[in-house]
Amino acid sequence: MMLSQKLHEAFKGTVERITGPRTVSAFKEKGVLSVTEFILAGDNLVAKCPTWSWESGEPSKRKSYLPPEKQFLITRNVPCMRRAASVEEEYEAAGGEVLIDNEDNDGWLATHGKPKDKSDEDDNLPSMEALEIDKKNSIRSIPTYFGGEEEEDIPDIAEYEEADNLVETDPATLQSTYIVAQEPDDDNILRTRTYDVSITYDKYYQTPRVWLTGYDESRMLLQPESVLEDVSQDHARKTVTIEDHPHLPGKHASVHPCRHGAVMKKIIDVLMSHGVEPEVDKYLFLFLKFVASVIPTIEYDYTMDFDLGSYSS
Amino acid sequence: MAKQEQSGSIIQFASFESAVDESFWHKLSSLKLNKLGIDDSPIPITGFYAPCSHTQVSNPLTIVAESFPSGTNKELAVPTISHGNRNRCLVPGIVYNTNTIEDFRKLEKQKLLKEEAKKIWEDIHTGKAVEDSALLLRFLLISFADLKKWSFHYWFAFPALILDPPATLVDLKPASQWFSPEEAESVTTACNEWRSSSLTADVPFFLVSIASNSYSTVRHLTDYEACQGDSQKLLFGFYDPCHLPNNPGWPLRNFLALICSRWNLKTVHFLCYRENRGFADLGLSLVGEALITVPQGWRDRQCVPNVVGWELNKRRIESRCINLATSMDPTRLAVSAA
Repeated sequence: MMLSQKLHEAFKGTVERITGPRTVSAFKEKGVLSVTEFILAGDNLVAKCPTWSWESGEPSKRKSYLPPEKQFLITRNVPCMRRAASVEEEYEAAGGEVLIDNEDNDGWLATHGKPKDKSDEDDNLPSMEALEIDKKNSIRSIPTYFGGEEEEDIPDIAEYEEADNLVETDPATLQSTYIVAQEPDDDNILRTRTYDVSITYDKYYQTPRVWLTGYDESRMLLQPESVLEDVSQDHARKTVTIEDHPHLPGKHASVHPCRHGAVMKKIIDVLMSHGVEPEVDKYLFLFLKFVASVIPTIEYDYTMDFDLGSYSS
Repeated sequence: MAKQEQSGSIIQFASFESAVDESFWHKLSSLKLNKLGIDDSPIPITGFYAPCSHTQVSNPLTIVAESFPSGTNKELAVPTISHGNRNRCLVPGIVYNTNTIEDFRKLEKQKLLKEEAKKIWEDIHTGKAVEDSALLLRFLLISFADLKKWSFHYWFAFPALILDPPATLVDLKPASQWFSPEEAESVTTACNEWRSSSLTADVPFFLVSIASNSYSTVRHLTDYEACQGDSQKLLFGFYDPCHLPNNPGWPLRNFLALICSRWNLKTVHFLCYRENRGFADLGLSLVGEALITVPQGWRDRQCVPNVVGWELNKRRIESRCINLATSMDPTRLAVSAA
């Protein structure tokens, strides 16, 4: 962690300790959430997208301003079939991305920003297959805690080959139960990961904050650094950093919330300019939709096939 | 697509997969350092699972910090985890954590697995498994926590009683094709209600009863006798963690053992209940017809069937190891914080 980041964390911690949580709604004015609004929006997410649930996390890390059983939201075992880096090559080929906010070059990117009309231009684009075969940029190995380079202490796994007879020749056991993508070639086996995605409330920024815990294809924990391969490369190590989770042990990748309020404000403004009055309990759907531009290949659920708000006209 | 060349073939079940949340190892370490010391007697733990909810990945059995009993004495074996979370169906398990790597290697794995199988077998015979069906899913974990290197060696087993001869498959197809459109609609509604009620959301085995007017209800296993009169079709449903289109998941194995020994059925219609994004998906869910020959000696409670279930590690018969020094080692944490 860089010193400036450390100093900021210390400052933020102090401010969080001495200031009370937001109680007055500033959702439309600033794009931020009060604690009550966070719970309201979280309850709505859990109701509409039941793969999400509330959890209480580590008892010692509980925040007193949140109910003990509603400390943070989590959806587990979310598939991530390909690395964001390889997907981005396809975006480049298919028309790239546009900045939602380009005042100072660190704005959010809208994926699928300018989708080209595929019907007439497909011919001169490189095909997806061609791009995937291009191995030089794709990430082939999955470093896990289990196989990290610096862990030379770990005894050779061959030592554990069994002395007692565990060879189970049971005809009713399906052999090879890997998480395999649709076309089971070696490449896909290496690419398939799963994620636990959690949302916490950041008291300092008064916005939700997203955290990622990754697992490889055999469900071994990924090093947080490897998680950055599944983050849009424009955000990796800039808006996405590796920090302590407020409710869980260990280091996790997180989308830094410093600009969440501003981005949400912009989204809300756009909706309102179209005559839609956004409702605060839909906040997390909007929020997760924009987070999808940071983690485009992690297929978590934020289905939004209902009205975002009420039409005011 | 699933139908062809399946007739009469042996049902092949997709193995359960394990996933260990980092918090579990942190909790085990603190228990070992602060409370257990060298006491290595087994500890009851609770695992969690849910039906498959994505088209491309199966749902694993997960253990987290809350998997440990929360009482001050570990004899207070009752975990205080609340029922009713649909994404956390509770599964009873046990962990043998050894003090040394040698002890870990010396554990008699087949014996331990048989002991768990015997518990399942007893619960089937006493009827406890009908009352509390999660008992059919019992799992076993052996581990060694190397707190000098912050590495954890472990191995899961999901004991499954072996039917000998194995159950065969007459038919297996997506549930949406097996049911009539009216039945499918009614089954979907009934399953979603079952999954959204906090009383039943985490009950992983159930009955689907369909009346002649296509009206479907989801009922507890204890209602089996009551269902005989009023259902035209009766299916044995379970939360299937597996996503594969041609194979039922592991929980069906002990369920078939229960059905065969308790109700003496030779032909069983089963429903592998699966979801998409948290809601019943009959395109992903499967309905199959299994033929069971009651194995020799199956009536004898003393005669515990053979069992399989040690989890493979990347297709190999071996334990797993994870190193958490980067997040647990105080010296490394001090360096990264400097």
